[in-house]
Amino acid sequence: MRRARALIAGLVFVAVTITGCSFGTTTGNSSGSGSGDAVVLKVMAGSEVKDLEPVLQRAKEVTGVEVAADYTGTLTGAEQIAAGQADGTYDAVWYSSNRYLSLLEGSSSRLSTQTKTMASPVVLGVRESVARKLGWDTKAPTWKDITTAVKNGSLTYGMTDPSASNSGFSALVGVATALSGGGAALTQKQVDAAAPQLREFFSGQKLTSGSSGWLADAYVNQQGTDRVDALINYESVILELNRGDRLTEKLHVVIPADGVVTADYPLTLLRSATQEKKDAYTRLTDWLRTPEAQQLIQEQTARRPVVPGVKLDSRFGTTDLIELPFPNRREVVDGLINAYMQDLRRPSQTVYVLDVSGSMNSRGRLDELKKAMSSLTGAQGQTSQGVDRFATFRARETVILMPFSSRPQTPQTFTIPTKGGEKVRGQIQAAIDGLTAQGDTSIFTSVEEAYRVLERSTVSSDQAFNSIVVLTDGQNTSGQSFGDLQAHYESMPNDLKAVPTFSIVFGASDRGELEQLADLTGGRVFDATSGDLTAAFREIRGYQ
Amino acid sequence: MKRTVGIVLAVLLAIGVVAAVVIGSGMVGLGGGVAGRDVVVVRGVIGSEKKPFFDDPEVQQILRDNGYDVQVETAGSRQIATLDNLTDYDFAFPSSAPAAERIKRANKTSGAFTPFSSPMAVATYTPIEKALKPTGVLTRENGVLIFDVDKYLKAVDQGLRWDKIPKNSTYPASKSVLVTTSDVRKSNSAAMFLSVASYVANGNNVVSSKAQATKVLPQMTRIFLDQGYSESSTEAPFEDYLSLGKGKTPMVLAYEAQFLDRQMRGDGSITDEMVLAYPKPEVLSKHTVLAFKDPGREVGRLLSEDPQLQRLAAVHGFRPQSRQVFTDVLKERKVAAPPELVDIIEPPAYEMLEAMIVGIEKQY
Repeated sequence: MRRARALIAGLVFVAVTITGCSFGTTTGNSSGSGSGDAVVLKVMAGSEVKDLEPVLQRAKEVTGVEVAADYTGTLTGAEQIAAGQADGTYDAVWYSSNRYLSLLEGSSSRLSTQTKTMASPVVLGVRESVARKLGWDTKAPTWKDITTAVKNGSLTYGMTDPSASNSGFSALVGVATALSGGGAALTQKQVDAAAPQLREFFSGQKLTSGSSGWLADAYVNQQGTDRVDALINYESVILELNRGDRLTEKLHVVIPADGVVTADYPLTLLRSATQEKKDAYTRLTDWLRTPEAQQLIQEQTARRPVVPGVKLDSRFGTTDLIELPFPNRREVVDGLINAYMQDLRRPSQTVYVLDVSGSMNSRGRLDELKKAMSSLTGAQGQTSQGVDRFATFRARETVILMPFSSRPQTPQTFTIPTKGGEKVRGQIQAAIDGLTAQGDTSIFTSVEEAYRVLERSTVSSDQAFNSIVVLTDGQNTSGQSFGDLQAHYESMPNDLKAVPTFSIVFGASDRGELEQLADLTGGRVFDATSGDLTAAFREIRGYQ
Repeated sequence: MKRTVGIVLAVLLAIGVVAAVVIGSGMVGLGGGVAGRDVVVVRGVIGSEKKPFFDDPEVQQILRDNGYDVQVETAGSRQIATLDNLTDYDFAFPSSAPAAERIKRANKTSGAFTPFSSPMAVATYTPIEKALKPTGVLTRENGVLIFDVDKYLKAVDQGLRWDKIPKNSTYPASKSVLVTTSDVRKSNSAAMFLSVASYVANGNNVVSSKAQATKVLPQMTRIFLDQGYSESSTEAPFEDYLSLGKGKTPMVLAYEAQFLDRQMRGDGSITDEMVLAYPKPEVLSKHTVLAFKDPGREVGRLLSEDPQLQRLAAVHGFRPQSRQVFTDVLKERKVAAPPELVDIIEPPAYEMLEAMIVGIEKQY
């Protein structure tokens, strides 16, 4: 096969030489692989593997295989793969773990060879002064010890949303398995029994995020307030933070003594891939497991090598990583995520600052807004199965709707009760259905008002994750300027300053304006210019 | 000018496409293989533990010298039977007689060969041996480390945790004492473990009736389900054993061949702490080639009959048909000869093993 490819390439090469013309096309050399026309391996991936770029660049040089990746969240990606939606579009999938995927019906018939490429446990990075105070610099705590520290008010932390990001998901499974004390794979009964301790543990969570990378950024931004003592994240993320110059205080890597859940990043071939892509996959994975590649991965990304003979460098310490058993039933895992959302975590409180200026009437924008908001009320009936259901407004959550045009309208506040949430979700839906558009666009006056609404709210920042979501389809045309908002922001108390404003680029909105807003408040800008406003609203849910 | 080039290129590309089609269909006349002979591409789906053997350039060369370019994909041995279009491959190479039987029943095959076998083993570490001493799960008999299946089942029944073993300071993990296996629903090695475990649970008798299978099922279910997520291949947990250490997999079920293969490479992947235990009773995994097409049958025959390939199988730790070949290779590589095995049981008949696996599957 290789020889044949070389021959074909050779023929092309001859043709080019004869005619004396230079082409953009590259030609293969006589070895048949290596330099020259790269085979593109299309990969559906988790955003965690983005940092492998330098490694993949080298892989391309050596193997002639180029990786073209599209990024999708772990659980969403897993559902698409199991349903066969990746077949034909992608040749392989690359997530931090295949464990959840393997629990889904239909997944095993889609997947072919799996090759582990590297490893990183989900651990705690604790500020050195805090670690010392707790004695964790000399003796690793158990998850129970960590829970006790939270209960005593000695530890707060940031963690990603388990339904959106694998590091939070792994941490949730780890802490639930350890606190259940069973020693074996978790059951639903044990989750229920461990709920009081888990609630205590999660009362210490002060930061949430839809991705591991943004969580690290958010942690960096809030330094100096001493609001957050630790990060739960991949060991690699914490080591990389320590290596850089963004931290005012280094993080001590704490590996819980009773066990962790480790990501092993299996690059997995899809059975539907063509023979050419299968060969490319083999070339690539064979190389990725060479000592050269493993060493490069260790140096560049601070992940642990997974082939024998490549030694761990000194950053990793010498502690054995005790691996906790991972649940093998989907119901248990889904039940655990659901318990986290509806019961165990701190609730969220969000002000939705929604543009209903006149321009929203054009191109069906107002309808799109209504549709996107409806995807969160459960009104679209999409909520029985699948990860989308985790996006629905949750029990104990406070939703504040504040439409604005020339000025902010009176906010409407809804709190979803633990029982009978349907009724309140219906009320939110009715409010959304009733939106009409007219007038100018006063973005910054309205955002300032949103902060005042949260200041007046009876739900304090200790009790909930507060955030503001701004959707606008245009530039600021009335009310105060960004500078005015900035001045107000600087005068606010710290707990209010810690509330991030998330915004969505949509229609003719000004990305620059929104990015200023995100920078100021520690928020983030989401892009819906390609048209999918619903997806943007769902993505933001991971940050609330 | 440009247009001419375009046409020339198009023509050449067309030739290339024709060439590729011819090549893709298997017949290549481009100088591969022995002089004057064509090399046929042969595709097989195999149990993952045999991948290092097929990846060996020497193995590939001998097969090519015989006219075959053998390309393999891996899958769990039990999973192989369920693959769509399985018979598009030239051969399947599952890892045991029962797994081969499952494939044979569902597909038309044109030949079966058993080129080599491998006893099941439990790879562990000396600190784990020490920690488990009070339990009797690991013991020494004439210097050979023995994994006592009976004692192990008792420990699992009790839900024994590492940190509850008296005087265990070497491995105080709060998880249960469990051997890491592959996924019993997909992979053969776990099914082999089920064979010995069910034998012991059934009063040292091979499970041979539905009633017996039903009776031992709850106990058998625990040794697999309590582990939580398990990998679909045997190679993956063994690689964890090699690279991630005892924290992840204090004891891992493996083929003896996997361990010996690494020892014979002499690449330092087997450290002084690593040690192989043989289960008591023992079961042999008979790796079986099932041919769907003629080239597949030829490859199966070569693997069984070619002396060089038999020798290379031994180099990768498998026990070839001749004990002498095995002993010689080990000696040459300065690897201590593994024990002659005495207490060997037969796996249950296909239907019985299948009934137990299906029973366990229902508990997932």
